[in-house]
Amino acid sequence: QDNKQVKWRMSTSWPKSLDTIHGSAEEFCKRVGELTEGAFEIRAFAGGELVPPGQNMDAVSNGTVECNHVLASAYIGKNTALAFDAGLAFGLSARQHNAWIQYGGGLNALRELYKKYSIVNFTCGNVGVQMGGWYRKEIKSVADLKGLKMRIGGLGGMVLEKLGTVPQQIPTADIYPALEKGTIDAAEWIGPYDDEKLGLDRVAKFYYAPGWWEGSASITSMVNAKAWEALSPRFKAAFECAANEQTMKMLAKYDARNPDALRRLLGQGAKLAFFPREVLDAAFKASHELYGELSEKNPDFKAMLPQWKAFQQNEASWFRVADSALDNYTFAAVTAKPK
Amino acid sequence: MAPIMFASLILFLVVGYPVAFALGANGLFFALVGIALGLLEPALFQALPERIFGIMFNETLLAIPFFTFMGLILERSGMAEELLDTIGQLFGSVRGGLAYAVIFVGALLAATTGVVAASVISMGLISLPIMMRYGYDHKLAAGVIAASGTLAQIIPPSLVLIVMADQLGRSVGDMYAGALVPGLVLTGLYAIYVFAYSMIKPGSAPPLPPEARTLHGAALGMRVLTSLVPPLVLIFLVLGTIFLGIATPTEGGAMGAFGALVLALMRRRLSLSLLNQAMDKTAKLTCFAIFILVGSTVFGLAFRAVNGDLWVEHLLLALPGGVIGFLVVVNLLVFLLAFFLDFFELAFIIVPLLAPVAEKLGIDLVWFGVILAINMQTSFMHPPFGFALFYLRSVASRDLRTADIYRGAVPFVIMQLMMVGAVILFPGLVTGNVEKHQKVDIESIRIEAPAGDAYPGNSSSDDPARMFNDDRR
Amino acid sequence: MKLLLKLARGIDALNSLVGQAARWLILVAVLISAFNAFSRKAFSLSSNGMLEIQWYLFAAVFLLCAGYTLLSNEHVRVDVLLSRLSRRKQLFVELFGLIVFLAPVAVLVLVLSWAPFVDAYTSGEISSNAGGLVRWPVKLLIPAGFLLLLLQALSQVIKTIDELRRLPDAAAPAN
Ligand code: NA
Ligand code: NA
Repeated sequence: QDNKQVKWRMSTSWPKSLDTIHGSAEEFCKRVGELTEGAFEIRAFAGGELVPPGQNMDAVSNGTVECNHVLASAYIGKNTALAFDAGLAFGLSARQHNAWIQYGGGLNALRELYKKYSIVNFTCGNVGVQMGGWYRKEIKSVADLKGLKMRIGGLGGMVLEKLGTVPQQIPTADIYPALEKGTIDAAEWIGPYDDEKLGLDRVAKFYYAPGWWEGSASITSMVNAKAWEALSPRFKAAFECAANEQTMKMLAKYDARNPDALRRLLGQGAKLAFFPREVLDAAFKASHELYGELSEKNPDFKAMLPQWKAFQQNEASWFRVADSALDNYTFAAVTAKPK
Repeated sequence: MAPIMFASLILFLVVGYPVAFALGANGLFFALVGIALGLLEPALFQALPERIFGIMFNETLLAIPFFTFMGLILERSGMAEELLDTIGQLFGSVRGGLAYAVIFVGALLAATTGVVAASVISMGLISLPIMMRYGYDHKLAAGVIAASGTLAQIIPPSLVLIVMADQLGRSVGDMYAGALVPGLVLTGLYAIYVFAYSMIKPGSAPPLPPEARTLHGAALGMRVLTSLVPPLVLIFLVLGTIFLGIATPTEGGAMGAFGALVLALMRRRLSLSLLNQAMDKTAKLTCFAIFILVGSTVFGLAFRAVNGDLWVEHLLLALPGGVIGFLVVVNLLVFLLAFFLDFFELAFIIVPLLAPVAEKLGIDLVWFGVILAINMQTSFMHPPFGFALFYLRSVASRDLRTADIYRGAVPFVIMQLMMVGAVILFPGLVTGNVEKHQKVDIESIRIEAPAGDAYPGNSSSDDPARMFNDDRR
Repeated sequence: MKLLLKLARGIDALNSLVGQAARWLILVAVLISAFNAFSRKAFSLSSNGMLEIQWYLFAAVFLLCAGYTLLSNEHVRVDVLLSRLSRRKQLFVELFGLIVFLAPVAVLVLVLSWAPFVDAYTSGEISSNAGGLVRWPVKLLIPAGFLLLLLQALSQVIKTIDELRRLPDAAAPAN
């Protein structure tokens, strides 16, 4: 009964040159087509082609487009609890996040939240741990963050603001020249593979790890609730399968491409550096202060935080026993310099 | 339907109703046709306020009011006239002296802003009246000002180059480096054209008549000093604050506007009425320039909604294989499409389609991007739908006929095309200035991380096994 | 007609008033932008609010002045043909443009931009950047601006019809 052709538009938040994230959106559309023998056709539009990235959530809410492909934390100005969908600072890893979504109560909690906006959400990809951005000078202590002018948005910016950093969301067109001349001291984007294309290594040598504010950037496809309900069960299943597939494949693509990209960047003269432990301690503390404040202000945030926190604690305990223990040993062994 | 849309756009424009609304109405009309044919759902219209919000949100466009305001303060306070008059006195006996000055100022302005509207409007305000007064050929004056204004988009910083870098997946820095020399060569070409024109038609760019050259010797020297100080201060405020890392390029415009205010104040030429005039004109010019963007966003949405972008994609399928053949056909196509689409739509629709093909042919994408950027510069310049021509129209007095603006633009369009050809023939113009990526054997590079764990030092007190046991007890 | 002309004059006065007030925001934006750059460098003192207020002001200028700009006839046209027409024909083009070109787009945007404003207002939407601003005022600017534009279009229609009526039948061609 569902031979009827369905055509949807998917508005993404990405430029087409991001073959990782935007590429995943296009692959997703292609797969939905294949799974339905072409009957369910979704076309992906890059950020700004239909609506500007900042309006992608509204566009799905009010039915301008049927679905989007976004980082949910871009919309925390609407509701801070949306940050749980994309991932919080010092939050879950990509694997833990998927565990939370699929079997840890995350999906139900988020579906409830999105109902307010007539949206049904689907996890549709993950970037993994990002890098901490490009800096003109070294960050040796928490004091070095004071007065640091940095282009960083969202929750990460809010945490850093508590530590004295001056977040400056200057226009995209100005990032490169502003960083080159020292109008700003630092800027962050994604990870080595995507950052390589921006060429910020030419103007800010220090490349910091880890991107603690984006330990897993989970990508979401928000679907207009009415459009979703109108789909046949077969189309719904195809949509979900393709989304799950991309959750696995986007992360795989990043994991496969980032190491060589980082090596190329280092070969061009970028200096790899790690935030000192002291900085992470301060940032961790500030993050949890922020979560406390957000809970005060937003009942949605307050409702989700305890459950999510407990889940993280439990996962962390288990991952330290299993993954971290073995990873730490193996990584050191495999990367040890030959004697 | 897309070709019909283009044809009717010309019709809509020629009627003579303001461009902004003709564009919008044309888009709306075809969106309605699209709905009637079942090509799109009315819900897509909701994208309109969202797209307008995107224009409001685009802080880079602040350059338009900032530079316009600066230009108006300079013009209304008489400082601009003084400056150009001084240049006239200095090079008074040189034919086309003013035109060279305009080209030079255009290149300087281009180094501070990447927004063509800002540059053309402020240049038109400052220099058009005086060129007309000194008896310059109207076509030449209009062409020189509009073309020098479009240098803003090829000499870094530049919105066009940023969009291009973004779409091609190349670094903005490389794009800037690659575009610099072609931008300067183009500046030189304009000057050569002025020279040739003033030789062939001596009356078109007259030198100052001897009786106007009143200052000589020491008096002229003083005058040069006093009238050159303000522009030098302004250049420092705009360019200098960007280079010293104080202002972003967008803020550089505000620095310039602020500086113009202070200068006018210091010369006791800033009155409330002058301030009011400048703000009033800035408000109207900004409104007009942005409403053209609003109109073209309606047009752009409808163009996509009726699958105009797919139609363009289809055109690109039939591209020839060889490098030169590919480049020539692509540039012809871009040139023709640029008659109707502004560079944003062009860059968004076709560049992502062309990039993989170009890369497969072994074409350097920075080179390719610069070629396209110069070509798209013509989209600002060619009649009837060149934004730079509209901007100039908006600040020109009625004495300058629209037809003269159009005719004046044509030689510069031809020069830009010659430049496209030159860059195709001599890739070194672009690649020579791009910092070579060091050839590094990545196999030789190790990612060094602190041994084992970047954050070691967990004491036995938070031994994971213990934590786990505690929790479960 | 008299009553209508009175209405037109009222609209003109309103848009002049709004335009003359809104133009001061340009000066404010210039000062804030220059000051922000300076204080950021000198004292590491700035915030995203200082950046966002600049585009709020910019948006306020071009939207609130939309009616005023139309009143002042500052929107550029391709006037190659238009300038050769008789005054009567020019007025007909004007009327046609106002009703067929301008009004539909303005009505559409006015209607569609209301719900996003209400959403932003009731949900208390703010910027997602640290230290960013509340969003509803800037979303209100779209319907406000297009309402002013539409009102001005109405005034222009009235004035154009009035001029057409008063035009002698054998109108001399405009120069
Ligand atoms: Na990031
Ligand atoms: Na420029």
